[in-house]
Amino acid sequence: MKISMNWLKKYTDIPCDNASYESRMVMSGTGVEGMEDLGRGLKNVVVGRVLTCEAHPNSDHLHVCSVDVGEGSPLQIVCGAPNVEAGILVPVAKVGAELPGGHTIGKSRLRGVESQGMLCSGDEIGVPVELYPSVGSEGLLIFREEYPLGTDVREIFGLNDTVVDFEILANRPDCLSAWGIARETAAALDTPLRLPEVRVREDGDGDIREYVDIRVEDSGLCPRYAARVIKNVRVAPSPLWLRQILYAAGMRSINNVVDITNLVMLETGHPMHAFDLDKVKEHKIIVRRTTPEEGLTTLDGKTYRMTGNELAICDVDGPTGLAGVMGGEESEITEATRTVMFECASFDRTSIRLTTRRLGFRTEASGRFERGVSPRTVGTALERACQMVNELDAGDVVPGVIDLYPDPLPKVQVDAPVDYICRRTGVALSGEEMAALLKKLQFGVTLEDGVLHCEVPDFRQDVEGKHDICEEVLRMAGYDRIPSTRLKGETTQGGLNVKLRRHTQVQDLLTGMGFYETMTYSFISQKVLDQLCMDENDPRRKPVQIRNPLGEDTACLRTTLLPGLMKTMSGNQRAGNERGRVYELGNAYDPVEKTDEGLPVERDTLALGLWGAGCDFYTIRGVAEALLDRLGVKYTIVNARENALHPGRRCALASADGQTLCVLGQMHPDTAEAFEMDRGSYVCEMDLDKVFAAARPMGHTVPIARFPAVERDLALVMDEDRQLGPVMAHMKAACGDCLEEIRLFDVFRGIQVGPGRKSAAFNLILRSPDHTLTEEEINALVKKALDAAAADGAVLRL
Amino acid sequence: MGIREELERIGKDTLQDLGKVTDTQTLEQLKVRVLGKKGSLTALLRGMGALSAEERPKMGQIINEYRARLQEALDRKMDELSAREKEARLEKEALDITEPRDKVEIGAVHPTQAVLREVLDCFTGLGFEVVEGPEVELDHYNFELLNLPKNHPARDAQDTFYVDDNIVMRTHTSPVQARVMLSRKPPIRVVCPGRVFRADEIDATHSPVFHQIEGLVIDENVTMGDLKGTLDAFARKLYGEDITTRFRPSFFPFTEPSAEVDLTCFNCRGKGCRMCKGTGFIEVLGCGMVNPHVLEMCGIDPEKYSGFAFGIGLERITLLRYGITDMRLLYEGDLRFLRQFR
Repeated sequence: MKISMNWLKKYTDIPCDNASYESRMVMSGTGVEGMEDLGRGLKNVVVGRVLTCEAHPNSDHLHVCSVDVGEGSPLQIVCGAPNVEAGILVPVAKVGAELPGGHTIGKSRLRGVESQGMLCSGDEIGVPVELYPSVGSEGLLIFREEYPLGTDVREIFGLNDTVVDFEILANRPDCLSAWGIARETAAALDTPLRLPEVRVREDGDGDIREYVDIRVEDSGLCPRYAARVIKNVRVAPSPLWLRQILYAAGMRSINNVVDITNLVMLETGHPMHAFDLDKVKEHKIIVRRTTPEEGLTTLDGKTYRMTGNELAICDVDGPTGLAGVMGGEESEITEATRTVMFECASFDRTSIRLTTRRLGFRTEASGRFERGVSPRTVGTALERACQMVNELDAGDVVPGVIDLYPDPLPKVQVDAPVDYICRRTGVALSGEEMAALLKKLQFGVTLEDGVLHCEVPDFRQDVEGKHDICEEVLRMAGYDRIPSTRLKGETTQGGLNVKLRRHTQVQDLLTGMGFYETMTYSFISQKVLDQLCMDENDPRRKPVQIRNPLGEDTACLRTTLLPGLMKTMSGNQRAGNERGRVYELGNAYDPVEKTDEGLPVERDTLALGLWGAGCDFYTIRGVAEALLDRLGVKYTIVNARENALHPGRRCALASADGQTLCVLGQMHPDTAEAFEMDRGSYVCEMDLDKVFAAARPMGHTVPIARFPAVERDLALVMDEDRQLGPVMAHMKAACGDCLEEIRLFDVFRGIQVGPGRKSAAFNLILRSPDHTLTEEEINALVKKALDAAAADGAVLRL
Repeated sequence: MGIREELERIGKDTLQDLGKVTDTQTLEQLKVRVLGKKGSLTALLRGMGALSAEERPKMGQIINEYRARLQEALDRKMDELSAREKEARLEKEALDITEPRDKVEIGAVHPTQAVLREVLDCFTGLGFEVVEGPEVELDHYNFELLNLPKNHPARDAQDTFYVDDNIVMRTHTSPVQARVMLSRKPPIRVVCPGRVFRADEIDATHSPVFHQIEGLVIDENVTMGDLKGTLDAFARKLYGEDITTRFRPSFFPFTEPSAEVDLTCFNCRGKGCRMCKGTGFIEVLGCGMVNPHVLEMCGIDPEKYSGFAFGIGLERITLLRYGITDMRLLYEGDLRFLRQFR
């Protein structure tokens, strides 16, 4: 909300500099986004009269003028404007003047003739025609009125002013107005408030009911609709002061009638609309919901199809305007307008919001209605508009008001106990102090038995309960008075929840293993899922969709963390990071399973990736295994089906009850290519919910073995494609607890073992928990192991 | 030659040889030659069979003493030589300790996570329990229970991603507040960290995905002073003892009174710099006393209990903390960036 300081100063005093004004406003709840010095860059430009104007001796279009700027002898100025002539009053940039855009005027010679300055156009001094309509439309700006020679033009155009851009909180639509800001200013600075007294002179004749008939059919969507009629309207340009106010607020001046509605909106916050009543068919206005399929052409000439949910301003033939959004084209004010009806109303903000959402545009009025325009103050705004008609002599106000307000809102009364406010804020204030603070904000207050009985002013829609009164008191007393105290009361057990404790553990383990944590968005694209080559019926291909995504790339909720991880890896590889280890901890969103509340189940997931020299399939598997070991999870290595991974270099780690804990492996060359990754990229995705569920509680130990161990080495020969894991598991199972550990220490391939065969050397550690093993027992155990291996086609190498 | 002479000779020769020995290997050979199973002194002992029964023990004693002396001499020499050899070996094994080699790489948690740990550490120390909630959330919890009914204009400030009419990507961590209030009885002291989502285009200061930490305290007689005290403790713990908070009036639908909180600029310590645009303060979080309507909707008696809530933008304090100027860096995972956070 942009408001000029000069305008505010009409309503209250601002006896401090801009910086302290800003700070006082901010600390009392009215944000300031910026301040703009209107006349910045315009210096030393004054009113001057062209005394003489003669043709330049060396030019066919330049003139040499003598210009009186009210000091000493006239200046000699060369001017090339077509409309220069003796006698006119113009802006003169003297030597040393500064013009917007950074130009400085110096003494110069133009085709041999000295020029002591420059005569200016509106553009050159940054004054658009909306702000000051010059005589004639081209060339020099020529003043219409008389001004003393030498007057600084900034004064004339209202440019010796600062425009403040206020940031209004969502609960204070009343402050989207000069009067609202003035009220806050006066309260914050403790200065007197001088809002104009609103009074209308009904100088027309007859009665408004002879001019117009208004019916509101949906008072739910339109709680109040008020109108006044002006006859003998005299449409004309607005006076300069009004143009200046509109200009400072960033609005364009149209004509006096339209400008009055905009002025009143800026003053009071109430959007208004002016109808050319002679163009309203049968002088009948009906406020009703549209019917489906009805068409409507708005002021900007566009036609919209209605749905039956919009509130429309209609004549006998149908909708002519969208209530609170945009007026109709037909009843627009023109120079020929003779009779005007001012509309000031209150519309349901939800209805307006839905309408503008559906149509996809907003107007100044609709924005205000969406934020809330109080029905209570409708009357004041309407009367103010008529008062301006009186003041500008823009027409004659017809006696009578139509004010359709079937259910007037009652005055809001709130009782707030003084001690409640003290307890809530922690600030010790007396009831009298509180009452004084509230009165500054125009509340009616009486203090009785420690209770503040407050009458909420009509313009405040946000104050409903004692907690609101509490805030008003506190912000006026100053938030800097809030003390800094420690929490009292029962102690509570603080700490991380189980999941975050586990996350911390996983993060720390991975940090130690050289991994860097990354974060990617929770959104992915359908296309990325396709690139992972999942099976047709893989549920992860059908992710939860976002109804209003930013774009295709972020249209779905990730069902796997792999795409984000792979993008991170590929980005790093392309950035020249030759090796690296990265991970992400986050949620994958289950596309099928729902919680009791119908929300997609969020799966706590870990995605790990590594690439670069020295790493292979076993590196990523080793990382996953180390993590599971450390978390106390028992697992077996099983085959996995994950098409994004190399078919011969992928596996899953499964829990004792067969649940897949993680899938890992080398990227499939096709996937690597699709994601622009190195082929030597390895990834793992782990379901942490399952892992944590299988995790053994920490702190479980077993005693150290007391009897000696015996080691035996065995070299077994088998087919190349025989997996070692099951062979070892079977040996272990056959020997039972006495086979403490079985370790692979070498794999050999060569002519000695024959083509398509390999020899694996194992180190068996045999130990009994309760006695020293005898030679017979050892031999029996080794035999069991060999028999089990033989059953898997692995025979002792001779 | 008698045994005695023989003994003298062996002794003399051995000592002579010992003087010439310069390495342990030769010394070992010498030792074997003299004291070994087939050594000269051993042979001498064996040759004692020829002696009389009286002479034998006497001679035996003499030889054994002699043997012990030689043994000692040899051992001493051995110690000396092996010490020298070890020294030589160590010298030979010496490396260029300045030669650059790869370090063992230790990773790092994400910078926002590092900051989150500090924040949680502070609040858990104050008795706050960490609670999490769903990221895909019911409109009911994300908005309605927080005083933001359907079509409320304040919803516009939080451009929401919708899954359907009733399910949204949570726009803040505040719905966890509502869930906690509905499921627990006061006293409540919780902090709720997590991902939140807004339909903001990605640029240097915006991201559709970011993190917040919500705090909530509900108890009897909780004041706004307690809120300030708690946030002061947080500010000091994270940024140092000289940091204070400044409360400014603000508006949030779920708190009343509400405040924006600025911290003393931790770059210039309040003197004014580019980071704080010369103000000496940095806007960090929003907070307020829980609106009684919210308490009521969540089944807590607003006449008996009061409370406060605050919401901290994790990325914001992370960016400020490390002087990061582009938020996108946090989501790109470039190791050249992440390696700076060890």
